[in-house]
Amino acid sequence: MKKIYIVLLTLGLLACEDKVNVNLPEAPEALVIDAWVNNKNEPQEINVLKTQPYFDNSVPIGVSGAIVEVTSEEGTVFTFTEMEPGKYTWDPATSTETIGDELLDYTLTVVAEGQTYAATSRIKRVPPVDSIKFTFKEERNPFQPEGYYAEFVATDPVGPSDSYWIKSYKNGVLLNRPFELNIAFDAGFNEGGNIDGVVFIQPIQDAVNPLTEELDAFEPYEVGDSLYVEIHAIPNDAFTFLQQVQIQTQRDGGFDEIFAEPMENVSTNIENVSDSPNGQVVGFFSMAAVSGNGKRVSE
Amino acid sequence: MNFKAICFVLLAAFAISPSLAQNKYTLNGYIKDASNGEALIGATLLVKELTTGTSANIYGFYSITLPAGDYTIEYRYIGYETVIETISLDANQKLDVELQTESQELDEVVITGESEDANISEIQMSAEKLDIKTIEKIPAFLGEVDVIKSIQLIPGVSSVGEGSSGFNVRGGGVGQNLVLLDDAPVYNSSHLFGFFSVFNPDAVKDVNLIKGAIPANYGGRISSILDVRMKEGNMKEKEISGGIGTVFSRLAVQGPIKKDKASFIVAGRRSYIDILAKPFVDNDATLYFYDLTTKVNYKLNDNNRFFLSGYFGRDVFKFDERQGFDWGNVTGTLRWNHLFNDRLFSNFAFIVSSFDYGFSFGENDRDKFDWSSRILTYTFKPYFNYFIDTNNELLIGGEATYYDFKPAEAVGVSDGVTQDISLNEKFALESAVYVDNTQKLSDRLSVRYGLRFSAFQYFGPANKYEFRTVEPGERKELVNAEPFDEREVIKSYTNLEPRASLRYKLNNSSSIKASYTRTAQYIHLVSNTAASTPIDLWTPSTNNIKPQTGDQYTLGYFRNFGKGNDYEASIEGYYRDTDNQVDYVKGADIFINEFIEGDLISGVGRAYGLEFSFKKNVGKINGWLSYTIGKSELKTPGINRGDWYSTRFDQTHNLKLFGETQLSKRTSFSANFTYLTGAPITAPTSRFNVQGLVIPYNYYDSRNNFRIPASHRLDIALKWDPTRPGKKKKNEDYFVFSIYNVYGNKNPFSLFFAQQDGRAVAGEAIDTFAYQFAIIGAPVPAISYNFKF
Repeated sequence: MKKIYIVLLTLGLLACEDKVNVNLPEAPEALVIDAWVNNKNEPQEINVLKTQPYFDNSVPIGVSGAIVEVTSEEGTVFTFTEMEPGKYTWDPATSTETIGDELLDYTLTVVAEGQTYAATSRIKRVPPVDSIKFTFKEERNPFQPEGYYAEFVATDPVGPSDSYWIKSYKNGVLLNRPFELNIAFDAGFNEGGNIDGVVFIQPIQDAVNPLTEELDAFEPYEVGDSLYVEIHAIPNDAFTFLQQVQIQTQRDGGFDEIFAEPMENVSTNIENVSDSPNGQVVGFFSMAAVSGNGKRVSE
Repeated sequence: MNFKAICFVLLAAFAISPSLAQNKYTLNGYIKDASNGEALIGATLLVKELTTGTSANIYGFYSITLPAGDYTIEYRYIGYETVIETISLDANQKLDVELQTESQELDEVVITGESEDANISEIQMSAEKLDIKTIEKIPAFLGEVDVIKSIQLIPGVSSVGEGSSGFNVRGGGVGQNLVLLDDAPVYNSSHLFGFFSVFNPDAVKDVNLIKGAIPANYGGRISSILDVRMKEGNMKEKEISGGIGTVFSRLAVQGPIKKDKASFIVAGRRSYIDILAKPFVDNDATLYFYDLTTKVNYKLNDNNRFFLSGYFGRDVFKFDERQGFDWGNVTGTLRWNHLFNDRLFSNFAFIVSSFDYGFSFGENDRDKFDWSSRILTYTFKPYFNYFIDTNNELLIGGEATYYDFKPAEAVGVSDGVTQDISLNEKFALESAVYVDNTQKLSDRLSVRYGLRFSAFQYFGPANKYEFRTVEPGERKELVNAEPFDEREVIKSYTNLEPRASLRYKLNNSSSIKASYTRTAQYIHLVSNTAASTPIDLWTPSTNNIKPQTGDQYTLGYFRNFGKGNDYEASIEGYYRDTDNQVDYVKGADIFINEFIEGDLISGVGRAYGLEFSFKKNVGKINGWLSYTIGKSELKTPGINRGDWYSTRFDQTHNLKLFGETQLSKRTSFSANFTYLTGAPITAPTSRFNVQGLVIPYNYYDSRNNFRIPASHRLDIALKWDPTRPGKKKKNEDYFVFSIYNVYGNKNPFSLFFAQQDGRAVAGEAIDTFAYQFAIIGAPVPAISYNFKF
């Protein structure tokens, strides 16, 4: 949604924006569990970290020595082992088990620093990415310069309450900036979007084009560039979480500020299930079935 | 049915037979401006012999019933020569009076209309009338006089910042103000994101802001009423006025269609940044707004007069030929003033009003996305003003509004395949009947009391959605959807809204006033952005969203000083309790969301404060000082751990200073200074990473725990009349040179927190920063030329 407001930047003749130093209140650390697991045949990673002061621009501190397990509804246990501090992985290549695309519930259990945390998630159905299309377009305005614009074609299966995280990789690099976060509920923007069982609506198809470094225009593809689009079918609570993340992270300043929403804590589905819970936990556990398709721009 | 109820009350009004004592007669008529025939709203008349009097209503009509006899009657309106009439009242009599503008004296510049001691003698408290002459004196942004910016100099009124639409009154939200333009509700009062308002000063006669002690004839919003009255159009002669400014130009034409019978006014404005920028922009990107305000009136005879007024305005913002964003209001009001008898004045208003906005994206008809939203309303308002005797003035009336909400019409076309994701329309009826009496109990004590009964029906065709709260503050889960047929009532609400106020004169120069107001609000302005914007969404009360209610208590002390009431001072305290205040779940999505009700939650609110006002009406330098100390808070389950938190528009200190002086016959200088406490925001304490994104985190889960720095600003303006002195002229023209934000303070609009722009690389640190954004970060000089002939 926010992307449409980028255009308001042009108004900024009299406006000014300064980096400022702000004394924020101090706070204790909270535990962070960043657990997004999918059925791709590659090492899966769960991070157990600590929150840090807002202006602490360093790599987050990992929490070592945790027990990290994901258990399927059928009782299969996937044990994640610590590769480096705070980083726990499970590699399908070294396991006889696989995370398939059957509709199954999964439970995450993390035991860290004497506390036990748990969360549940579910593998949901994923539609295939039918195709990727590139269209050469002349410069339309300063925000949409000349070049190849991409869109992906996929159809949301009939029946409500599917939700997706659409990840795009340009030349193998994930478009992971806040404004590049592309999510869908059924074929539209949200649960109340009134659209199900059809091709994703145009703004979602289009949101596979990267933005420039300054976030002030699209950066279209050039001949030779590749795009790989993945659809991660995620549970509805993960969609809601990402919707909140979008609001909290898409802060570009300028006249976009007029439309900015206030800061708010994002939700979490991770619970401290210890007998005597102590401290706070943030983060999210989501399972996903993934489909993908790619294409390279040719003349 | 509520229509029935309305009819019943109206019939009752006629049933009050004029219980004339044997030899009492009624004097009535209109009080008008001699130069153009415009009604003088609130002009007073004083019966010398009885030291009693009355004032003209909003149409300039007055009526007073007195025992037979000879009287000396003074007709007064500030800034006008007093007219003294001697009459022998031995029968009912009609007397229209025209007052001449006072010859402009060097040391006497008028600040407000009405009688000199209105501050202490008027029963209405918590209200401010600004006539357009006052508004024109206030230094304005880019030299353009503006109604909404001017009322922000009144105690208790503020805004979240430059670039936010609307205004806040006594800690209330933008959507809690009822903004009326000739009786028509205006659903969004801003041009250019609030830099200007929709009211064209050339067509505005009078602005009345009621912050508390709201009379029973107004309702539907819980915070305030901004009643803007348009000029009727010069009845005497043709008049052309206008101005050429830095941002836009204005032109207004008015004059008689038939002298003293019918007149018209047409006023238009258009901004021209786009035209000036054209040579420098190589595509069709553009940004402009325009509006047209027009009114005609026709006096059929002494007992019947018709007014037809309309407003049409639009803001257009395009980034190329096909893609853009636009919004605008349309209002139309047809009014019929009818005099049933000497003492019963009535008005019937038929009103249509709409506001809509739209976005367009895409490069051609085969690939595009169009999205728009609209609110459309039809209102019928009968109003009866019954001048019972010198001690009682009764208002009886009703109101019925039919709402048609179109929350989103959204159509996407992808490779020629159309997808319609429009949401269902929503329909509702809001109605009210009221009785209000102003009663003079003694020379010292006057009271005004009234009762408003309001009702609201939300009806089909629509689905009745039922939700379940899973966790407070989080999105509610849809559990049931039940379809309702056309006109089938899904949910209805009623409210009794008592209103009362009193004025007690301690002596000739001071009084005490107190009031109680209960208000109900059935439609809600939904906005989860920090500031109010044109894309905020009006939505009705439903089975899930309850009507907002407010109870406001005010107490004030009013004092005039100096001979001829040269200085006016007042202290007012207010306390308002509100219920069913709209708040939002985490990650609420208000756009194109059929289940928006699942994202809205409600809480209670309270606002209180003290307002100080001091005015100097005469002398070489005159002006006013207003200061408010206040608090505005909300408490909503699931937010801020369930504790009270400051609203986004909570301002502890709000200081405004306005001064004006006549430097010479041809030049005058004015200045205003503003100081506002910074707006509260929620600031993070910490951060954490999820999938390469840095998410801000407030460990204490508190809302609005931090304040952005205070803002302050000085604006100045110099008005210069190029005509040589001594030269008699009918035409009027002048230049205004102004500087907004003289010392270039970077007043913060927001303080925000964001991660680095560059793409995060796995395993590497991601930087986070705080930024302060100022919309106007420099002095803004401007020049405008204004004329009238």
